[in-house]
Amino acid sequence: MEKAKVAFFDFASCEGDQLQVINLEEDLLKVVEAVEIVSFREAMKGHSDDYDIAFVEGSVTRRSDEARLKEIRKNAKVLVALGACATLGGVNLLKNFQEAENVRKFVYGDKAFQYETYPARPLKAVVPVDIDIHGCPINRHEFVMVFKSLLLGKKPEIPNYPVCVECKMAESICVFEMGMTCLGPVTRAGCGACCVTEGSYCWGCRGLVDNPNADSQREVLAKYGLGLRDILNKFRLYSGFSEVAQ
Amino acid sequence: MKYQPLADISPYLPQWAEISRIQKLTESERLFEMHLADGEPLGHKPGQFIELSLLGIGEAPISISSPPGVENSFELAVRKVGNLTSAMHRLKVGDRVGIRGPFGTHFPVDETQGKDILFVAGGIGLVPLRSFIKFVLEHRRDYGEVTILFGARNPSEQLFLDELEDWRRRDDLRYLESVDRPDPNWTGHVGVITTLFPYIHVDPSKTYCVVVGPPVMYRFVIVEAKAKGIPDTHIFLSLERRMKCGLGKCGHCQINHLYVCQDGPVFRYSDIFDLEEAL
Amino acid sequence: MALQIIEKSDLAFFVQNLMDHFQLEGVQSKGQSVYGQAFFYGTIRSPAELCLDFDCTVMPPKKYFLPPQEALFRFQTGPSPACFECRPNKPLVIFGIHPYDLKAISQMDRVFAAGTPDPHYLARREATILIGIDPTHVAPRSFWASMEAAVVSSGFDLMMTDLGANYIVETGSEKGKALLGDYAKVRPATSDEVRQRVSQRSHIADMGQKRGLTFPKREIPILLQHSLTSPLWEENATKCLSCGTCNLVCPTCYCFDVWDDMELNLTQGQRLRRWDGCLLSDFARVATGENFRGTRTSRYRHRFYRKGQYLFFGILDDVACVGCGRCAAFCLPDIADPVEVFNRLKEKLN
Ligand SMILES: Cc1cc2nc3c(=O)[nH]c(=O)nc-3n(C[C@H](O)[C@H](O)[C@H](O)COP(=O)(O)OP(=O)(O)OC[C@H]3O[C@@H](n4cnc5c(N)ncnc54)[C@H](O)[C@@H]3O)c2cc1C
Ligand code: SF4
Ligand code: SF4
Ligand code: SF4
Ligand code: SF4
Ligand code: SF4
Ligand code: FES
Repeated sequence: MEKAKVAFFDFASCEGDQLQVINLEEDLLKVVEAVEIVSFREAMKGHSDDYDIAFVEGSVTRRSDEARLKEIRKNAKVLVALGACATLGGVNLLKNFQEAENVRKFVYGDKAFQYETYPARPLKAVVPVDIDIHGCPINRHEFVMVFKSLLLGKKPEIPNYPVCVECKMAESICVFEMGMTCLGPVTRAGCGACCVTEGSYCWGCRGLVDNPNADSQREVLAKYGLGLRDILNKFRLYSGFSEVAQ
Repeated sequence: MKYQPLADISPYLPQWAEISRIQKLTESERLFEMHLADGEPLGHKPGQFIELSLLGIGEAPISISSPPGVENSFELAVRKVGNLTSAMHRLKVGDRVGIRGPFGTHFPVDETQGKDILFVAGGIGLVPLRSFIKFVLEHRRDYGEVTILFGARNPSEQLFLDELEDWRRRDDLRYLESVDRPDPNWTGHVGVITTLFPYIHVDPSKTYCVVVGPPVMYRFVIVEAKAKGIPDTHIFLSLERRMKCGLGKCGHCQINHLYVCQDGPVFRYSDIFDLEEAL
Repeated sequence: MALQIIEKSDLAFFVQNLMDHFQLEGVQSKGQSVYGQAFFYGTIRSPAELCLDFDCTVMPPKKYFLPPQEALFRFQTGPSPACFECRPNKPLVIFGIHPYDLKAISQMDRVFAAGTPDPHYLARREATILIGIDPTHVAPRSFWASMEAAVVSSGFDLMMTDLGANYIVETGSEKGKALLGDYAKVRPATSDEVRQRVSQRSHIADMGQKRGLTFPKREIPILLQHSLTSPLWEENATKCLSCGTCNLVCPTCYCFDVWDDMELNLTQGQRLRRWDGCLLSDFARVATGENFRGTRTSRYRHRFYRKGQYLFFGILDDVACVGCGRCAAFCLPDIADPVEVFNRLKEKLN
C-alpha cells in the first residue's frame, strides 16, 4: 500500500499543537513510518503540494490567509483542524488561561475583534473542515487516534460527551467539591479531564458538546460560585466561549 | 494482564466468514454472500441478525437477508452510512469478516403457516423482510395468499431489482410498489407506502401483517393494517436500535424493559403497542 | 464457622499479610473536600493507608469487575487474521466494602450471569475476595437503610463489624474462611460480643434511616407504573447537564460502549469496552441520525425506570438502587437523587 502523504500548516497560533505532535516521541517515529510527511515547518525543511491529509493549526486572522487555506483545501483529501485556534477561532489569546488578567483579555478581546477589519475566525468559517482535533493544546493521544483512524479509512470518533465522564473515569474529586468551579459539564471530552487530574479545573478549551445545557450550567456556576472572588470572570469566560463556539 | 489464546468461546469473539459474492444493489447498498470459514451453517431463522465486524473498524448489527438454505451461505445487504458499513463496501470477494450470532427473535414462520401474509417493506426494510418473503416463496404451498407492498423514496433506491421483477411477474403473489419521488422513467404508483393500502383486499380473520421500515413508517402502516381489521396480535414488526453487544448487557438497545437484541428485533405489535418508547 | 474476633491491634498484621500474598485494594482518603474527606478505592501499600471508618467512597468498587475500560480481545489483521481473548484472572482482595455496595455487587453478578454470561465480568469476580465492613458513618446523601441495604447476610467472603475494642468477623465462604485461617490472628467471639454485634447493627440501621423513602421500597415499580406522564420528569430534566455522572458513579450502572483501537502498525489492535451512560445524549443514537431517546426528559426518566422497574421485573426481582447516594451527591444541579424523586412522585400520586 502506498503511504499516505501528510502535510502540516500553521496560521495565527503559537504552534503549540505542532509541538505536541513533535513531543509524541516514540509514537512520532511510528507516525513518521506510517506516512510520508511532505511538509512540516516545525520539524523539517522542504515542502510539497502533493498531499492527502493536511493538518492545519491556527486561526484565520488576515484576508490573505483565506487564499492560502483554500489552496490547502483544494490539495488535501482530508483537512484536519488542529487545536482550539483552528477549531474555534480566536482563542489563541488564551494561552495563560489561569491568570485572571488574561482571562479578562480573552473575554473582552473577543469583543475587541469585532472592531478590527478582520476578526479572527476558525478554519471552518472559510473552508469545509473534515475533522476537528480540539484542545489548547491538543491531546497527543487524541491526535494519534485521529491519525490512525484516517489511515484506516475511518472517521475518528471524537467524543460528544462532556469532560465529567472522563473525570469520573479518572476518579478525580470534582472541583466543585473543592470550592472551585469548572466548565467540564458542558465541554467536549477527549482530553481525559487532564486539567482536573493535574489539580486544576476545566476551563473549556475543547469547546462545547453539541447540545450543552447552558442555562443549567450557569445556574450551577451561580450556586457554587457564590462567594468566589472572580465569579464574574468565570461567567464571562463561559459566555464568551459559547459565542466563539457558535 | 496476560493475553491468552482462545480456549473456550467468549461471546464477544467473532468467528470468520468468507465473502463469496458481492453485488451492487444501489449506489449505497451492496449485497454480500458469504459462508462461515469452518463450513458450518449459520443456523439462523428469517428475521434474525448478526454482529458483523471488521477488526480495527468495529462492529454493527446487520440483518441476515437470505432465508436458511440448503447451501451454507448467507446474504447480508449493507447500506453505507458510517465507518463499518463504508469499510464493508471496500471489501473484495475472498476477504474475511467477523460474525457473531445469529441473535434475536425471528419472524413467525410457523405461526403463519396456512395463513395469508401481507408484507410491508419501506426502503432498506426490505433487507430483513426479504429473508421471510423468500422463505415463504420457497415453501409457497405452506402459506395462503401473499401480498407484498414495497415503498422506496425514489426509483433508484429500489433494491433487489431482479427479485422485484420476478415478483411482478408471479401469479402466486400480489406485488404492489410505490415511490415517494418518481423520476421521469417511473410509470408506477407515486406516494408514501400507505397510499397502496386502498388497492389491497385482506381477509382479516386469517391475515398476518409483517412490517419493516424506517421508524416513522410504523405508526402510519399500523393504522392502515388495523383499519383493515387485522388484529394487533397478527401484526409483526422489526425494530432498529443502537446495539453494542447483542447479549442483553450493554443497555443501548433497551426499550422500556425489553432488549431489542434479545427480545427483538422482531416484535408482535400487541406486545409493544403500549410501550412508551417503542414506536 | 462461628463469628470470630480480630483485635484492633492485630488488624495491621492481617492487612500486612494480605498485602504480602495478594494485590490488596481498599479505601483510602484522597484529600479533603469542602464536605470532608474524599474516599476512593485504591491499592493498599501499607496497613496505615487502609481506612475502615469511611462514610462512602466517591466511586463504587465496580471498577474491579467492570473497569472503566477493558480489552475484550486482542486481534491481528492481515493475511491471517486472528483474535486472542483477554482473560482477566488477577487475584484481588478488596478490603472494606459497605453492605450497600456488596448488595450492588450481588445485583451485578446476577445481571452479568443472566442469559449469555459475560466471561470478563465473571472471571474478575471469581478471582476477587470481598471483605465487607459495616458502616460507622453515614454519608449525607445516603439512604441505604430504606433500600434494605443496611445489613447483608450474603455476597461477601468476610464481613466485619467494628465493635469499638475489636472487629467481629462473619465468614461468608470457604475462601473467606481460608483467608482468616491463613492470614489473621483470630479467636472465637464471646456471646457478649455476638450480642454487641446485633445491637451495633440495629444502631447502624437506625443511623441509616435519617434519610429515606416515605413508603416501602417494593412499591417503587407500581409507583413508576403510574408516573410515566408526571410533570416531574421534565421539570427536573430541564436542569440536566447530560453529564452522565449519575450513571458513572452508580454501583449498579453497567452499560458499556464497544470500540476498536488499532496500534500504529495498523495490524494489531484490541476491541475494548468502556463505561457508558444512558444519560449521555448519544446513548441511543444510530448512524442514520435517529436518536431513540433524543430528549433530556426521556433520558432522565429512563434511568429511574431502569433502576426502579425494568430490572426489577427483568432480572433482579428487586430495585436496582442500593441507596448509596452517590448520584445525589455528585449531580451538580442536584436532580439525580432517587429518594427525592421517588418521594415526590409518591406525594404527587397521593
Ligand atoms: C437489528 C438491526 C439490523 C440491521 N440490519 C441492517 C442491514 O441489514 N443492513 C444495513 O445496512 N444496516 C442494518 N442495520 C443498521 C446498521 O447496524 C447501522 O447502519 C450500522 O450500525 C452503522 O454502523 P457504522 O459503523 O457504519 O456507522 P457509524 O456511524 O460509524 O457507527 C458508529 C457506531 O454506532 C453504532 N450504531 C450506529 N447506528 C446503529 C444502528 N442503526 N444500530 C445499531 N448500532 C448502531 C455502531 O455500533 C457503531 O459502532 C441494522 C440495525 C439493527 C439494529
Ligand atoms: S471536576 Fe469538572 S469535569 Fe470533573 S466532574 Fe467536576 S465538573 Fe465535571
Ligand atoms: S480539562 Fe478542560 S481545559 Fe483541560 S484540556 Fe480538557 S477540555 Fe481543555
Ligand atoms: S441527572 Fe445530574 S448527574 Fe445525571 S446526567 Fe443529569 S446533570 Fe448529570
Ligand atoms: S441510583 Fe444513586 S443512590 Fe442508587 S445505587 Fe445508584 S448511585 Fe447509589
Ligand atoms: S440503562 Fe442507564 S441506569 Fe441502567 S445500567 Fe445503563 S446507564 Fe445505568
Ligand atoms: S445490544 Fe447490548 S443490550 Fe442489546
